[in-house]
Amino acid sequence: MKRSWYLHFWAGLLLVVLGAGQSKGQDLVPVITGSAGFIYSKDAGQTALQPIINPILLFPLGSKFLVEADAFLQGYVARSSPGGSYEWQSFNSIEYLQLDYVVNSHITIVAGRFLTPFNIYNERLGPIWIHNFQDDPIIYPIGTRTTGSSDGGMVRGVAVSRPDWLLNYTAFFSALSNSSHFGAGRAFGARVGVFLPKANLEIGTSYQRFLQDQHTNSYGAYLAWKPVTLVDVKGEYAHSPQGQGYWIEGAYRFSELAPLGRILKNIQPVIRGQQFFRLAPGVNDELPQADTQRVDFGLNYYFPHEIRLNGSYARQFSSTGNSNNWTLDLTYRFLFPMPFWPKGGQ
Amino acid sequence: MKLSSSRFVLLALLLLSSFFTLKSNARPQQGNVVPRNAVPKADEAKEGEERFQTNCGRCHHPPEDLSPREARVVVRQMRVRAMLSAEDERLILKFLAP
Repeated sequence: MKRSWYLHFWAGLLLVVLGAGQSKGQDLVPVITGSAGFIYSKDAGQTALQPIINPILLFPLGSKFLVEADAFLQGYVARSSPGGSYEWQSFNSIEYLQLDYVVNSHITIVAGRFLTPFNIYNERLGPIWIHNFQDDPIIYPIGTRTTGSSDGGMVRGVAVSRPDWLLNYTAFFSALSNSSHFGAGRAFGARVGVFLPKANLEIGTSYQRFLQDQHTNSYGAYLAWKPVTLVDVKGEYAHSPQGQGYWIEGAYRFSELAPLGRILKNIQPVIRGQQFFRLAPGVNDELPQADTQRVDFGLNYYFPHEIRLNGSYARQFSSTGNSNNWTLDLTYRFLFPMPFWPKGGQ
Repeated sequence: MKLSSSRFVLLALLLLSSFFTLKSNARPQQGNVVPRNAVPKADEAKEGEERFQTNCGRCHHPPEDLSPREARVVVRQMRVRAMLSAEDERLILKFLAP
C-alpha cells in the first residue's frame, strides 16, 4: 500500500516537472476551473440541502497532451426520518482523470477515467452551472451505468468537417472497477453525431453494451438545436431492456433589445418534459419502478461574475405516487490559473 | 486464441487510431478543414465569436477575463469534449483571447 503511494507521488511529480518544461515553451499554464453551488430541494415533502464543490484541473503537456482531473465533492443534509433530526452525509468521487492526446483534426485518444459518452447529458450538460434543472433526467442511468464514468480508453474526434456539416464520433471501452472513487462498469460503446452549423442543429445516436452480470444493450438518440440565438432546445431518447424514455427541454433567453430588455436580459425561463416506460423489472438499475411522467418549470437568473440563481418546480406522475419537487440553487463557475506557475515565452 | 469482447474493442480502437494517424501524416487535410487563410485576419475574432456561439454557446456562455495562456488550455479541453475542429479551436481562441 505504502509502495503504491510512493509510486503515485513520483508519477505526479514527474508529471508536474514534465508539464512545467513542456508547457513553458508553449506559454501554457495549468488551469483550475469548475463550479461551486448550494442546492435546496423539497422532493415529495422531504427537504435536503446540498453544498457542492466541483474543481477541475486542466494540466497541459506540450502542444498535444492534456491531463484533465475532475473531483465532485457533495454534502447532503436531510432528516434521517420524518420528524427526525437533520443528518450530514458526504459523497466524494473522481468524475474523470484522463490523459488526452490530440493526434490531429480527426482523432483524439483518451486514456484513464472519463465520463461515459452516452448521448449528451452526461458529458456536456452534467456540471451544475450548465444544466438547467438540478435533477438529472429520469433516463440518465440508461447507458451510463454504473457510475457515469468509465475506466479504460476512448477515441473521439471529428471524422469529417465540411462548411455545411460535420460528423463527430466517439468509441470507448471500460473495465470493471469496484474502487470507491474509481468505480466503473465493464462496457463498450460508441456515439455518432451530425452537426449542421447553419441550422444550429446536432443530432446523434449512441450505443452501449454492458458486459457484466447480464449482458445488455442500450441505445440512445439526442438532439441539440438552437433555432434562433435566444432559443435553446435539447432532448434525448434512451432504451434499455429495463425501460425506455425521453426528455425534451426548451430555454428562452430574453433579448436586450426587447421591451424591458435591460431588466429581462438576465432571465431565462426553461421547461422540460419527460416520460419513462418500464419494460421489465430491474434490480439496482436506478430507474423508476413504474411508468413515470414529469414536467419541470424553471427560471434562471444570471448575475455578473458567472453566478447563477435557479428556481424550479416539477410535478411527477406515477402509479407509485404523484409528487411535487421544488428546487432553489445558486451556482458559481470559477476559472483561474494555477498559482505560482512560471511564465513562459513563445 | 479467443479474444474477449473488451480486447476486441481495444484492438479495433488501436487499428482505427493508427489508420487516422497514418492518413493524417500521409497528406495534408484536403478540404476537410477550412484553410487557415480563408478568413481575413481582421475578421477572425468575429468569426471566432460566431463559432463560439455555434459550438460552445449551445451549452454555456463565454468565460469572463481569460488570459491567452489560460484560454489555450481551456479551448484545448473543449476541443476534446465538444469535438471542435482544429480551425474552430484556432478561431475561438481569437475571440476569447485576441
